[in-house]
Amino acid sequence: MTTNRSSDQGPTRRKVGIAEYVVVTGGTKLVTSGVGSCLGIVLHDGYNNVSGLIHVMLPTAEESRDTNQAKFVDSGVPMLIEAMEEAGASRRRLRAWVVGGSEMLSFSSDGDSIGKRNIAAAKHVLSELRIDVAGTDVGGNHGRSMTFDPVTETVTIQTADDTTQTI
Amino acid sequence: MKVDIRELGQFNHLASQGAERAAESLSQLAGVEMDVDVTDVSLVTETVLAETFADRSFVGVELGLEGGLEGETVLAFERERALKLQDLLMDAAIDTDSDSESTLAKSSVTELGNIMIGGFIDGWASHLGTAINMTPPRYTEANGPRILPDQAIEAAKKHGVFLFESKLRGMDVDLDFSLYMLPEYRQFVQLLSGNESSNQIPVNRLSTFEELAKEGAGNAAGQIGMMTGLDTSVDVSRLRFVPLSGVPKQVGNDQFVGVVFELTGLPSGYLVVLFDEASAKTVASSMMPGGSEEDGIGTMTEGAIKELGNIMTSGFIDGWANVLQTSIEHSPPNFVHDMGESIMSPVVGKLGQQQDYAFVIDSAIEIDGQEGQCDIYALPDERELARALSALPAQTE
Repeated sequence: MTTNRSSDQGPTRRKVGIAEYVVVTGGTKLVTSGVGSCLGIVLHDGYNNVSGLIHVMLPTAEESRDTNQAKFVDSGVPMLIEAMEEAGASRRRLRAWVVGGSEMLSFSSDGDSIGKRNIAAAKHVLSELRIDVAGTDVGGNHGRSMTFDPVTETVTIQTADDTTQTI
Repeated sequence: MKVDIRELGQFNHLASQGAERAAESLSQLAGVEMDVDVTDVSLVTETVLAETFADRSFVGVELGLEGGLEGETVLAFERERALKLQDLLMDAAIDTDSDSESTLAKSSVTELGNIMIGGFIDGWASHLGTAINMTPPRYTEANGPRILPDQAIEAAKKHGVFLFESKLRGMDVDLDFSLYMLPEYRQFVQLLSGNESSNQIPVNRLSTFEELAKEGAGNAAGQIGMMTGLDTSVDVSRLRFVPLSGVPKQVGNDQFVGVVFELTGLPSGYLVVLFDEASAKTVASSMMPGGSEEDGIGTMTEGAIKELGNIMTSGFIDGWANVLQTSIEHSPPNFVHDMGESIMSPVVGKLGQQQDYAFVIDSAIEIDGQEGQCDIYALPDERELARALSALPAQTE
């Protein structure tokens, strides 16, 4: 919903809500929580020092009447890239991290779970845009919280059982 | 009078944006980074107001609105937090040659409220295409719902009052407060009336549903009592209208144990029953003869919570089905033990395919005094809910 940007003088970390994205420059960390069947996708240009994180809910905009593009993998990722380019990122230098897409619930009315379809959509969009995937932590049946640190170029993932993993 | 749910969404969006601007003003004035949690709107009765504000003592700034949007706006924070905010403002203030510190603190809080509410209201006038005038700010201190203007409490007694609430939380400091907006009932209902009949809910049914939610929660609380032998009571029960993406934030990111059900029928939707870990263990242990010796949350607790969840959910939706004169079924329980926001993620994902906003019926049940708590979140499909409510025979008011 919101497009936010912060500069080198800004806070040390920025929170990203569901269906939102944030673009930062410099060492500002990007944080999002509540990544269940949703995906947190990080894009980072280490050369120009521009990072972005989007928290998407669903695979494709076609599935909804919604106008908030940041809710979907297929419309959200291009929008994030555009905002990052405006902040000085170069498209061909972008690398990606994909986190989430778990299957927390199963209902009889489901075909493939939202989590699975989100992961597939992210793979598809990133390969179409020729963006290298630097790391993933996807699937399973647990929720995640994640933090991207531009300085170390890593994503740290926390799960409910207090395990922490860095990719 | 009918309410168009898309219009309600539009106003909710204006309030969220307003709250963001109010947060920005605070950052500029006091150098505190604030995060806007969620903005919700609900039509509340006097009882709900009393429950929502009970046992709390507030400091606030109150400001009247006139013109294109009439009503009252209140910036309120709990009294214990007032000192913290005053300190921050004093630090930021350059001119300190006032008579006494408390006068200065009061006037700086009032000025802060004035600026924040101004930011909050900014976008509304342009949306409505008319001017909104603000009356001078007033510093208030009160216990419970008395922090709200008298007119609003009177209106809540008569026909309910629309209550917009935005929660603001400090990113790095322990500071949080709420911005309330209570538009004048008749004018606001006019503003909410749209033209597309499929998205409309008769406004008097909104309060009917509130009572329904209460019954559902009452049933569910009764079931916990019966199964566990523990004392239970419904603490708060409210029908809120929130952006879907705000639902996980409302639940919070603590660890929860619970069950998620899919509802089918009219309306379809989801029902989520959550216990904090300690409450889950207490409840599960009380359900077993001789108690449970289980360490942590294992299969015994899982079985107990599933069984209890099943019975609670049946009780909850039976109340709805009776009043709506429809039939509603629920799926088998999906057990969850995870972070609250993550549990809600697939639920909002599912609903997000059809809608941007959600009616959330949010009930808190106290178990064994204030020892334990259970939260029930019901999220019906909004169009189906509108349809079911509209189809009810006319009531005499």
